[in-house]
Amino acid sequence: MKREEALGLLLTFARRGEDDTVRRAVAHIRQQGATDVLAVGTPVSAPALRVVGADDILAYGDGAGTRAVIRDLRRRRPRLAVIVYLDASFAGHLKLEALALLSGAKRVWRAAPEGPPTAIGRAGLSSSVLDKSVRAFGCVLAGMSICAIAFTCLRARQLVAGGRRANRA
Amino acid sequence: MKAAIIIVNYNGQELLAQSVPAALEAAGQAGAHPVFVADDASTDDTIEFLCRAFPEVTVLALPKRGFGATSNAAVEAAETEAVVLLNSDVIVTPRFLEPLLDGLAKPDVFAVGCKFLNADGSLTHALGNRTSGRWQSGLLQLEHETRPERLERTCPQLYANGGGMAFWRDKWQALGGFDALYHPFYWEDVDIGYRAWGRGWQVLYEPASVVYHDQGSTMRRVHRPAHIELMSAKNAVLFAWKNLLDPRLFRRALAAQARWAADDVLIGGLPSRTAALWRASRQLSEAARGRTSEQRARLRTDEEILALSSRGDL
Repeated sequence: MKREEALGLLLTFARRGEDDTVRRAVAHIRQQGATDVLAVGTPVSAPALRVVGADDILAYGDGAGTRAVIRDLRRRRPRLAVIVYLDASFAGHLKLEALALLSGAKRVWRAAPEGPPTAIGRAGLSSSVLDKSVRAFGCVLAGMSICAIAFTCLRARQLVAGGRRANRA
Repeated sequence: MKAAIIIVNYNGQELLAQSVPAALEAAGQAGAHPVFVADDASTDDTIEFLCRAFPEVTVLALPKRGFGATSNAAVEAAETEAVVLLNSDVIVTPRFLEPLLDGLAKPDVFAVGCKFLNADGSLTHALGNRTSGRWQSGLLQLEHETRPERLERTCPQLYANGGGMAFWRDKWQALGGFDALYHPFYWEDVDIGYRAWGRGWQVLYEPASVVYHDQGSTMRRVHRPAHIELMSAKNAVLFAWKNLLDPRLFRRALAAQARWAADDVLIGGLPSRTAALWRASRQLSEAARGRTSEQRARLRTDEEILALSSRGDL
């Protein structure tokens, strides 16, 4: 078996309090036959990810853009991936789900603090990514509406109150 | 200089049993400064307990109005040149007061903050030491120094943690005290520190004034974590809406806040960013009023405030 084929991908935000779930996710990756565990994280989360058993860290946020991370992931072709969630509702985590999908991993599991990781097929994952992308767009629209109103109201008041001086602050 | 020590309390009878004796000892050692407990309408037996156990303490039994308004009312009642504000979960060391008052005597100083240690004496995740800030994702990201070697000298900081700070009462009143915009809690101290810098004053960190702080112990007992996170995020948004006057930075910040809402789905977890923006929008007119008065009084730009407050030296 080639080394790339034995690579397992760990996808987590490595929040405080998630250590146990992340450890169980790493154990699950190894149980599924992966010899190496690759984690995607930031320079800040990298030390914590090593402590919980990641062999290699693909760090973004220190100059490496998202596209570079995706390119690197696809090049390394992980065989399986485990996504760590905050709870069994599997809410949020669209970034990690999209990375799992784009990495090309054949099998994907979702790990929550309660119970063992549960498998999700590529179709299920694609559907979740699509559904959450629509919701993310909705959130941005809501955020844009609120911020546009706030911007208009606050800047207008600033200009009225301060006249030309308002731009000097 | 006479300084009133004010301990702000809500349902913290057990905490006061430890913090009041420490404050009384420190006040006595530093030349008999008055000690007040400002009670935000506690539902436990705090008032009876204080009257019985500590008759030398002046108890201000106030109607329920939250941390900021309770602090304002107590400062108004204090009638001393300087005021020291403490949380009920802060235990002061016997000699914490003099270095704070020495710091206040330096030119143009509005407030001086204590050195906060965890209850076990450690600095891990300790909040409020040598504070600074930078604009990121449309919000002011607060930073707290935790490296011991960088916490040994008196130096400027962005704001003094409201859990342990001394300030001039006249400057406090000129600033209008803690802003009710941030009801029920969090960001009042950041706001008043930022505004003080904006008026040409400074805020200092004083390492010789050591206090122990069981960070958030009162808050965790009274509020759910989700509510605490939501209020903190709402107030972070309001802080930017009120205080960020630089037109270029303000434009960028609001664009970033709109994108920030998507983090609810991209990342998840607490707090709900969309809910925080929605909650903030309900106080938009209050924020606008605060922004207008801030604009009239501001002597420094936003960039100057952050640069000056993060200097390593006086």
